[in-house]
Amino acid sequence: MLARLPGRLLQMIPTFILIGVVVFVLIRLLPGNPAAALLGIHATPEALARINAQLGFNRPIWVQFLLFVGRLLHGDLGISVSERIPVTEVIARRLPVTLALVVMAAAFALILALPLAFVAALRQNRASDVALRGVFQVGLSTPVFYIGLLMLGFLGAQLHWFPVGGIGSGFWSGLYHLILPALTLGVGLAAILMRSLRSTVIGVLRAEYVEFARAKGIAPWRVLTGHVLRNSLITTLALFGLNIGTLLGNTVIVENVFAVPGIGGLLVEAIFGRDYPVVQGVTLVLAVMVSIVFLLTDIAESWLDPRLNS
Amino acid sequence: MMHDNGGPLLSIRALRTTLATEGGRVTVVDGVDLDVQPGEILGLVGESGSGKSMTLRSILRLIRPPGQVTGQVLWRGRDLVPLREAEMRAIRGREIGMIFQEPMTALNPVLSVGAQILENLAAHTDLGRAARRARAVELLNLVGIPAPAQRVHDFPHQFSGGMRQRAMIAIALASNPTLLLADEPTTALDVTIQDQILKLLQHLRETLGMAVILVTHDLGVVAQSCDRVAVLYAGRVAEYGAVGPVFATPRHAYTLGLLRSVPDARHARQPLRPIAGAPPPPDTVGATCAFMPRCGFATAACAAGRPPLVPAAEGRLSACIHGDRLEATEWAA
Amino acid sequence: MSGAAPTLSEVPDEEVVPRRRRVKISVPLALGIVITLFFLVCAVAPGLIAPYDPLAFDYNNLQVGPRWTHLLGTDNFGRDVLSRIIWAAQVDIQIALFCTVPSLIIGTVIGALVGYYGGITDAIFGRLVDLVITFPFMVLVIAIVAVLGPGLNNVYIAVTAVSWVFYARLVRSEVMVLRQADFAAAGRVMGYSDMRIIFRHLLPNAMIAVVVYWMTDMALDILLGSSLGYLGLGAQPPTAEWGVLVSDGKNFMDTAWWMSVFPGMAIVLCGTGLSLLGDGVADLLAVKR
Repeated sequence: MLARLPGRLLQMIPTFILIGVVVFVLIRLLPGNPAAALLGIHATPEALARINAQLGFNRPIWVQFLLFVGRLLHGDLGISVSERIPVTEVIARRLPVTLALVVMAAAFALILALPLAFVAALRQNRASDVALRGVFQVGLSTPVFYIGLLMLGFLGAQLHWFPVGGIGSGFWSGLYHLILPALTLGVGLAAILMRSLRSTVIGVLRAEYVEFARAKGIAPWRVLTGHVLRNSLITTLALFGLNIGTLLGNTVIVENVFAVPGIGGLLVEAIFGRDYPVVQGVTLVLAVMVSIVFLLTDIAESWLDPRLNS
Repeated sequence: MMHDNGGPLLSIRALRTTLATEGGRVTVVDGVDLDVQPGEILGLVGESGSGKSMTLRSILRLIRPPGQVTGQVLWRGRDLVPLREAEMRAIRGREIGMIFQEPMTALNPVLSVGAQILENLAAHTDLGRAARRARAVELLNLVGIPAPAQRVHDFPHQFSGGMRQRAMIAIALASNPTLLLADEPTTALDVTIQDQILKLLQHLRETLGMAVILVTHDLGVVAQSCDRVAVLYAGRVAEYGAVGPVFATPRHAYTLGLLRSVPDARHARQPLRPIAGAPPPPDTVGATCAFMPRCGFATAACAAGRPPLVPAAEGRLSACIHGDRLEATEWAA
Repeated sequence: MSGAAPTLSEVPDEEVVPRRRRVKISVPLALGIVITLFFLVCAVAPGLIAPYDPLAFDYNNLQVGPRWTHLLGTDNFGRDVLSRIIWAAQVDIQIALFCTVPSLIIGTVIGALVGYYGGITDAIFGRLVDLVITFPFMVLVIAIVAVLGPGLNNVYIAVTAVSWVFYARLVRSEVMVLRQADFAAAGRVMGYSDMRIIFRHLLPNAMIAVVVYWMTDMALDILLGSSLGYLGLGAQPPTAEWGVLVSDGKNFMDTAWWMSVFPGMAIVLCGTGLSLLGDGVADLLAVKR
């Protein structure tokens, strides 16, 4: 596993370059002068000239790209139009909340999807399986903003079990504020995972090695944990990696619904504030997060599945 | 054959297994009677769908509900069919071991071979951790895997086909079963490797005094390694007896058909005479001889009822009412 | 002895249980068809079904709850929620079609060409697929909408810019398999042009998989379109769109919950109907996904 790590890290380089290209091109899709767009309301002729010289908007496009990459490598994402401070700082302030939210959401999704997939698979085509599949089929077609709004309205505003938004102050209060948004994201992701997981578990249950394990006279719970769960976990991880993009995309929406001050909410605020450097920066950070999670699930997968190591 | 004096180790009576399919219940094992003597190798031979694998799985009650097993499976005089799951688990792996056709799919790909032996030992023995590890290496050595101390840590995909089958045998033998159920253990292997695995099974039978039920569709395998043979057709036993006499003078028209359809080294350049038609789908056979539609000896009497499995000669049973007419036919003619 | 015994199959001994092939329409599929048809009718002729004018203010009935005169209640301007949901179906079905049909056409053509010719085009296409997979779909669409500006037309452009790749990837793999088939070789022997082989012979065979994907994709795009509408990046008020309706009502969740809850249900129902339809058709045609 560790032997493959340098190779996998090398493979990330073209991915990062691609991400850079997309983000670079994105801003150049803006109608008119990109410098004017980047400066927004602060666009005085002097400032325009300064930005043009500084960012090289009057140079050939490939020079502009190299300059852009050079600034990226120095962690320079430009200056936020609305806050007048470096974009990196704006994002760094907001990123921890999003990270906590995503980790909690992933945990909720796994806690929900894995046991329920097992129940559905073990009770295949019985009432409980059909009911679970029905619920998750509907869940799959429910937009996260709606799940969020219902939770907010019912568990928050109606029952007062949870705060109705924001992040509170302090670590524990912060976690408490994140429960509803994370649950919203988790339910959405669980619906996606559940669908494939159920058939994965059914496939594993039918595998001959499970039959062989039974023929050895091993206790059922040992067959379930030692063989079925162990082998299903590999697919679960792969599925999780495949859907991390959806999870992060949904984060943008859910942070908006619950007024969570993370980078997802920041993206929407920046769009309406025409703060293009921030839009660019958040897009970049989200894409980089996806590729890092890809890498992590990949490493975890090869740790769980010895076949991937040879 | 070796210890014929005592009672049979395993005695199956009227074994019947039904599975639930989309089209309703089907009977895949239809009243099978079999005896296995201690230390003998019994061949279970028949075409695909004849119920041989299902018979093995029914013995260990590996049939999942809504599949159903009825009849008697007397293991050392104790009927396994009514046992509770927990009681059954003490038999599985401990007293009766089982190996499968395709070790690549029957071994868990993400667990080392050693781990798969250890879980068997943990379930059935009181051995401590170190003793279990030592036993795992010993087992790999027993089945002829070179450098067992290193290979015990290897994963199934790191073994060759033949070695993988040996590893599976080692796992199945971990807790010293007295009977090994072998479900087509050589079908997936090259001919030379096939031969090595059969020799290994015979060797283990002799050194461990273990009986084997060897399921195969290969008559050559039966002739080479079995003491007795049971020929299965459509979930029923057609003929049962010692391999030599059964193959020399078959007393069931189906056995005769099978023998005629394989090349025989003794009679060079004989034309093969395959049996016309195909075996019936499960549960389409009524109260007649199941083989009747494909049989050249069939008469009206064959449709009169299901022919019982009755003594046909010394130590042999046959479910064919025309057994005597067959004897008059020189089978290779 | 393999092969020597004609009557002893070499097939592993799986007990062969014959299964009757069902050509009947399953319950989920029937449900999917009914739901989809219902929303199509709403979209085509909302005036015939909606009990009220969706834009008519009624200051005597502000935010009244569900009752016989207003089955799903009224909003803060006294507009009938049911009528607004029915009229909004027009916009959401439009989203489902306009987000997918251009992608389907562009993706199918490009995928067919890439799959047939392979080589350098295939290598370039591979990079493109990597890129699109790396970006969270929603984030990429939002970013493009951010640059182009909020509004439905820009949503269509943004979604098409990304999602044609998924259609192309699907068609490419289908065509690559079909290319090897006998009838493709036969076409070449007959001297047919590449274009004729691709579009007359290979593509029709690849289309089943595309159509099945298309149905589930429509369900996803309704979710995406309504999410963007909710954020204010998609349909712009006063256009009635389900996501916009939910957003309109979100500040009245404790006083007039019906304003948000019912439009949201419309999204769920329509999405469920389309995905049931897609899954059902896939099962019926035995398409593996």
